[in-house]
Amino acid sequence: MTSPPDLSRLNARGRWPPPDGPRVAIVGSRRPSPYGEAVAEQLAADLARAGVIVISGLALGCDAAAHRGALSGGGMTIAVMGTGVDIVYPAAHFRLAEEILAAGGALVSQFPNGSLPRRHNFPARNVTMAALSDAVVVVEAVQGSGALITAEAALELHKEVMAVPGSIFSPLSVGTHALIRDGAGLVQNARDILAALGAQQEVLDDPLKATRRLGFELPANRDGLLIHLSDVLTVSAAELARKLHLPISEVLARLTSLELDGAVRRHGAGYVRALRRAKERA
Amino acid sequence: MLATVDSCVLAGLEARRVEVQADSANGEPKFFLVGLAATSVKEARERVRSAIKNSGLTFPGKRLTVNLAPAEMRKTGTALDLAMAVAIALAETGGRVPERSAFLGELALDGAVRHVDGVLVAARCLKKLGYERLFVPAADAEEAALVDGLEVIPCGNVAEVVAHLRGGEQIAPQPLTDAALESSTDVHEHDLAEVHGQEEARRAIEVAAAGGHHLLLSGPPGAGKTMLARCLPGILPPLELSEAFDVAQVRSLLGDLEPGRPIDWTRPFRAPHHGISMAGLIGGGSGYALPGEISRANHGVLFLDELAEFQANVLQALRQPLETGRVTITRSGGSVTYPALFTLVAATNPCPCGWLGDPVRTCRCTPAVVDAYQRRLSGPLLDRIDLQVGVRRVPLSELASEPHGETSAVVRERVLAARARQLARQGCLNAQLRPRRLRNLAALEPGSRHTLERWSERKGLTARGFHRAWRVARTAADLEGAELIADRHVLEALGYRLSDVAA
Repeated sequence: MTSPPDLSRLNARGRWPPPDGPRVAIVGSRRPSPYGEAVAEQLAADLARAGVIVISGLALGCDAAAHRGALSGGGMTIAVMGTGVDIVYPAAHFRLAEEILAAGGALVSQFPNGSLPRRHNFPARNVTMAALSDAVVVVEAVQGSGALITAEAALELHKEVMAVPGSIFSPLSVGTHALIRDGAGLVQNARDILAALGAQQEVLDDPLKATRRLGFELPANRDGLLIHLSDVLTVSAAELARKLHLPISEVLARLTSLELDGAVRRHGAGYVRALRRAKERA
Repeated sequence: MLATVDSCVLAGLEARRVEVQADSANGEPKFFLVGLAATSVKEARERVRSAIKNSGLTFPGKRLTVNLAPAEMRKTGTALDLAMAVAIALAETGGRVPERSAFLGELALDGAVRHVDGVLVAARCLKKLGYERLFVPAADAEEAALVDGLEVIPCGNVAEVVAHLRGGEQIAPQPLTDAALESSTDVHEHDLAEVHGQEEARRAIEVAAAGGHHLLLSGPPGAGKTMLARCLPGILPPLELSEAFDVAQVRSLLGDLEPGRPIDWTRPFRAPHHGISMAGLIGGGSGYALPGEISRANHGVLFLDELAEFQANVLQALRQPLETGRVTITRSGGSVTYPALFTLVAATNPCPCGWLGDPVRTCRCTPAVVDAYQRRLSGPLLDRIDLQVGVRRVPLSELASEPHGETSAVVRERVLAARARQLARQGCLNAQLRPRRLRNLAALEPGSRHTLERWSERKGLTARGFHRAWRVARTAADLEGAELIADRHVLEALGYRLSDVAA
């Protein structure tokens, strides 16, 4: 493992150094399942409400979901970047970076201004993320994922490593399950993370009243199709039609109707049950 | 003496009349060819001289001038050979060709009349120009005979033609044989009954066939995208006479008609490789452009496999034909317009490695690469594809069992009925309805309008996307025989789009 840089000499934009308080890194795949994305967002929102500073890497997927969750929870979030702090990568996250700054957060980097995204920057950035945090939570990670580098670095730095379980059918949970098998803390909700941070009981009781359990939004008139859908793995319309012996045109129409109600989501060639978002975005 | 014989040269699907004048006069034996002849026509001098000599006719031992009028128009090709030979023969011995007759054909050195491309096109145009009789190569006679009201004289060699003209042994006109119009054996390579699973894609193909909608299939390698696409011709109705004639004309220009069976009733299915050039797909060539694959797919299916691998500019060039159903190409010779009214079926992988979104195998592409790959497809081209469907690999357990879907014949019945409804109502397929006609002809039930509007509000549907869903909903209703578009039709139509390829 590359040793972490001198944390007092990081370049930063925004509020830096951050105020005192527990800091948790939420990391995961850049291409998570709908489940992973929802988990990252939900955990970050709940942690932010409990006063935790959420750290992530401003990357696509889980990272962005974590930043967004923290913002919607009204908390401070720090993006640790693999580029100079003056260059937002990926460029599509320009607005997200602005929102982080506007909400009193910070963009930090160990690389000088003007540094472009280079392949070897990111593993070093992952180590920095671990060094800045009190705990690292891995949401979803395939084998060999960059999120696992952060977890490994956290172990070496004697930080808490935690992981979110997933489906045994999902390749995206192979990395997190390996972490749990090797002793990482199991994360089912934000309370698990706060407990691992050694938060006092009163801290745990009060803010967690606000945390909501992950769950499905149940529309008033539930469609029977819903119980055949998963919230982790996508199911195609064709599979549903086959299983239920329904005409495909009817299945498509009902799925679209559910999508319109926000109960299911399209993901690639299939559908998943929509998880309730931390905060319904317009 | 002077003799005049008519012929023509082709400019796309139009024929330009050419008057071939031959004059033999006293003087040094020489053969002049004037009248803006391109190299291919100048070479005719040698062919014509040998052909006349070897047919037992005499080539004038005088000063011979052949003029191709109008002299300001550039002439290419070998179809003028026969007219030149006849004019020279008549100039030597005297005699006239019958009124309103024209000659087409290339000559061999032994005097035989050889096949030329585009006889069907020439025959149709010459008929329109007022000609009543056409002398064509025997090999192309059946093709020319398809044109109603034109006497077609099949020519084996120059000697026969000259004898016929001088009142010697007459050549019988080519009748329109039943064989020429015979329906082709209705066997299609693929039948929907052979497809395992893929209910969504099967339904999309049925909707595409019924309404003439363009279709995009996106899925991993081996999901059966190509096989699904090849099932489409089998559920389309056979060509109408006028359509078959259109198809034959384009094929005639390219010299691609089957001898003895010029009319083919099956709809064209063209599947060009993704390395194809702009000229190959759209049409091109020097002088006047020749038709490309999109015109060969006229009234049929153009299948573009691996859509993202096609050159970007080639794909962009599809936009105009997709919109208008024809293509206009300008080359040095001038502009020509070819029909290009086809159903586009495109297939693509969701990402370069192909496995994005597969439940079992992991995609190895970085998000940036996936993004770049999908962006190549998005935008104006995708905007014009009404049906967009994700295809998944069928589980092995499913592949091992007997497929239990409907056969192409069953689906085709529904498609034919739906097409008949559309033609009776509006004279064209739903895919060709422009927004204004859509409003007049495709009434939405109040509930279904509400659904469509709610969707555009929530999901930010573009105006084009709005009309796309409306058109597809109309076809879904037609397949059901419904007068009004119900909610379920709109909802189904909205389902045919890919979230990860921009809508």
